[in-house]
Amino acid sequence: MKYTTHSAEETKALAAELARTLTGGEFVALVGDLGAGKTTFAQGFVSALGSSSRVKSPTFTVMNEYKIDRQGGVSNPAISRIARIVHLDFYRFSDEKELGALELENEKRPDTVILAEWPNIFAKDVFKPDVTVTFKHAEGDTREIEVL
Amino acid sequence: MRILGIESSCDETAVAIVDGTGDNVSLVSSFIRSQIDIHEAYGGVIPEVAAREHLQMMFPMLHKAVAPNGEGIDAIAVTVGPGLAPALRVGVETAKALAYAWGKPLVPVCHLEGHIYAVWITACRVGEGLRPSPTATPQFPALCLIVSGGHTELVLMKGHGEYERLGETVDDAAGEAFDKVAKMMGLGYPGGPKVAELAQGGDRKAFDFPRAMNDNSLNFSFSGLKTSVLYMLRAHEAEMQDVKFRENIAASFEEAVVDVLVKKTRSALLRLPLSPLLERGGAPILTEAPIRSLILAGGVAANLSLRKALEVLAKEMKVSLHLPPFEFSLDNAAMIATAGYFRACEGKFADPLLVKVDPNMDIV
Repeated sequence: MKYTTHSAEETKALAAELARTLTGGEFVALVGDLGAGKTTFAQGFVSALGSSSRVKSPTFTVMNEYKIDRQGGVSNPAISRIARIVHLDFYRFSDEKELGALELENEKRPDTVILAEWPNIFAKDVFKPDVTVTFKHAEGDTREIEVL
Repeated sequence: MRILGIESSCDETAVAIVDGTGDNVSLVSSFIRSQIDIHEAYGGVIPEVAAREHLQMMFPMLHKAVAPNGEGIDAIAVTVGPGLAPALRVGVETAKALAYAWGKPLVPVCHLEGHIYAVWITACRVGEGLRPSPTATPQFPALCLIVSGGHTELVLMKGHGEYERLGETVDDAAGEAFDKVAKMMGLGYPGGPKVAELAQGGDRKAFDFPRAMNDNSLNFSFSGLKTSVLYMLRAHEAEMQDVKFRENIAASFEEAVVDVLVKKTRSALLRLPLSPLLERGGAPILTEAPIRSLILAGGVAANLSLRKALEVLAKEMKVSLHLPPFEFSLDNAAMIATAGYFRACEGKFADPLLVKVDPNMDIV
């Protein structure tokens, strides 16, 4: 599905819509250039799943974890199974071998949704995302976002 | 007290020893993995980037720093967070094992707090003598501006270990913005310092990049600035190799970042009890005493423009300014040992058997 958003708020609203369709255990890939809206999307996503955590860019922290601490503004019983969100950013990586240090196998759990920025840094298909969201710059604040 | 500090939160492994007496902390030794010739330790084998690399360098550095039986060490300080769990675990488990085996107390330290304490390293041992650091000891309450690749926040420090977060970035950290602009401009590693270097020859007013969050909050935002630079570079693709253009972009970008950091710091200071002669704005922040000191912390503290701009601000606001020595702005263990010293003074030890890493730890 292709969408066009005209502001950060619209990007976040789109993210909330996607969040509502998840049931837990999903790996969501966020692919796009610098400034295309990946972290903004993550902010809308995390908030919609029911976390009050401050979502900041994980470029340097590499892995941020947000706990679902309220039932959120979404009335979807499936969402209450999701207890945490792991927000990754591979921008600073260059080699698949560096992933070992993260022990990501431990994060793939039914109560966890993984959001990963820059998974495309790696040469081959290291991850098998359940959903891939692609972001493209258009004029000014407009973005073209595709959800697969 | 002599404190052994251990740090392995993310990219860097470090070990250091400091001596503390009263309010004075002097550096005895400091080892930082990235600064060591790895060939020396491994005879030519370059370890791959992984938690394993931390592990492999930990003991060679410990061997240089301290006697195998821990003789002379009064306590061990270790970074427990924030950072990557597997990396943190290397330092934490090493520290726990040493504390247990040597029978010495263990102090868990927050990495961000470590950055703040870098300014408390008041003297460095050079040979047999002590070389004093140019900055004096900060007085409480102090306002801390923490600026690094992963963090940008304003924190009120009421006393040792007593913090209140006043504001932070809502998206990218300032150091991250520098790094990404460097990447956009094709500058190598390390990006931030390369942008700053390029900026020296440029016109800081050539481009008027946006200063975000122009409101009463003490929060920051740098992601819009990053995108603005990206668009400017795309619009002037033909000039990308022109030196003057590149210097101007770097200078104008750096100016925008420093401007925002200084403006928000100034706003924070104006809301705190200060000299009554200064104009106020926004809701006052209560503390028991007027702000005496301004502390700069984190990797971006090495930025010359920022340091100079804060010097001007500190003079205007009549507070003392405390800048970390360049070598202790980036990740290191001396700052961890220093933070650990002050915690040890208050007896804030932890049971080695129970200490765990805290990857999401925050200063507040």
